[in-house]
Amino acid sequence: MTYRYTVNPSRCTGCRTCELACAFTHTQEQKPGRSRIYPIAYGPDRFVPVTCLQCDDASCVKSCLFDALKRNETTGAIELDKDRCVNCRACVAACPFGCALVDDVHDQVVKCDLCGGSPACARFCPTKALEYKRIA
Amino acid sequence: MVQMTINGKVVKAPDGEMLLTVIRRQGIDVPALCDHAAVEPCGSCRMCLVEITREDWNGWKKYVTSCLYPSENGLIVSTHTPELQEIRRNIMDLYLARCPGSELVQKMAEEYGLTRTSYKTIPEGDNCIMCYACTRICEVLGRNAISAVHRGHAKVISGPFDDPPPDCIGCLSCANICPTDVIEWHDQDGTRAIWGRTFDLISCRQCGKGIITRDFAEYLKEKRQIPADYFEICDDCKRVELARKMGGLVDLAKEVAS
Repeated sequence: MTYRYTVNPSRCTGCRTCELACAFTHTQEQKPGRSRIYPIAYGPDRFVPVTCLQCDDASCVKSCLFDALKRNETTGAIELDKDRCVNCRACVAACPFGCALVDDVHDQVVKCDLCGGSPACARFCPTKALEYKRIA
Repeated sequence: MVQMTINGKVVKAPDGEMLLTVIRRQGIDVPALCDHAAVEPCGSCRMCLVEITREDWNGWKKYVTSCLYPSENGLIVSTHTPELQEIRRNIMDLYLARCPGSELVQKMAEEYGLTRTSYKTIPEGDNCIMCYACTRICEVLGRNAISAVHRGHAKVISGPFDDPPPDCIGCLSCANICPTDVIEWHDQDGTRAIWGRTFDLISCRQCGKGIITRDFAEYLKEKRQIPADYFEICDDCKRVELARKMGGLVDLAKEVAS
């Protein structure tokens, strides 16, 4: 079974539910600033939920000199192994989309891991702008 | 797979996997200061000592650093015997004398009921526990910029001949991995100072925030073929840029459809 995470910006209303769902799932805190997904306005009332695109030939994986970033073949997500990460920020600098982030509270690199196969943002998105669909 | 006994429980583990990894997987908390998943183990902190024996050893036993001892069939491992706790307490006592200012050492010593050392504190101590985590991570990185210099009491971690290391790229891996936070660095006015050297930070083209050092970017470009222009904008601005570009495509698609 293969799943794919899809983002459909034309359906996004900018309600920021995904931000809260993400922050709460990963940090148990209702602080949108600690989310791994950000709906960013590119015009009046027009938003794009910006999150990790789990690239096939990912710069973050290539840039990691300690093999801390690896793809989880089941979920398709590139996961950060916190035990191996030494916070050098190579991935943060190398990601062309800025989706390897720094959690300012713990001063640590974090990135979207698709919640291990059931992304909270997609579950909570009221307009289905974010979806996690089975493709095969 | 091999079969061992850890604290009386029969455990299976891959042949040759280090004992510390196996023990921790069982949920048993064995302390260690120099251990890190990204580097090779080196057994310098001595806190992960465990007692091993075998049935055919006729009661003979020995203490080994579990981070360096490979799993083997029939091993009987104990992790928290009174003798081991006494050894660990003594080691922490010595660390407390060497690194009185380190929060981690203080916290770990407290777990063994130590609030002050019974030895004489080193007056000009620098909190370095000589675990070589920094030099090992620099080796993994492929730079080997720092190592131990001088001998005996004068031994310190530094660049070759105790000079600023010419191979350092200012990536901060050593400072971040250091268990006692002794490696000093600071970012100021678009530069980063570490190990007596000053590096140029790449500033974001749009907001001016410092990203990584120019030398580190250069190294990533050369070693991992990351295009240089990826390093020119900070992550915050890159996300805004992505939203703008993606949004443009969405608007275009809507226009075409209508």
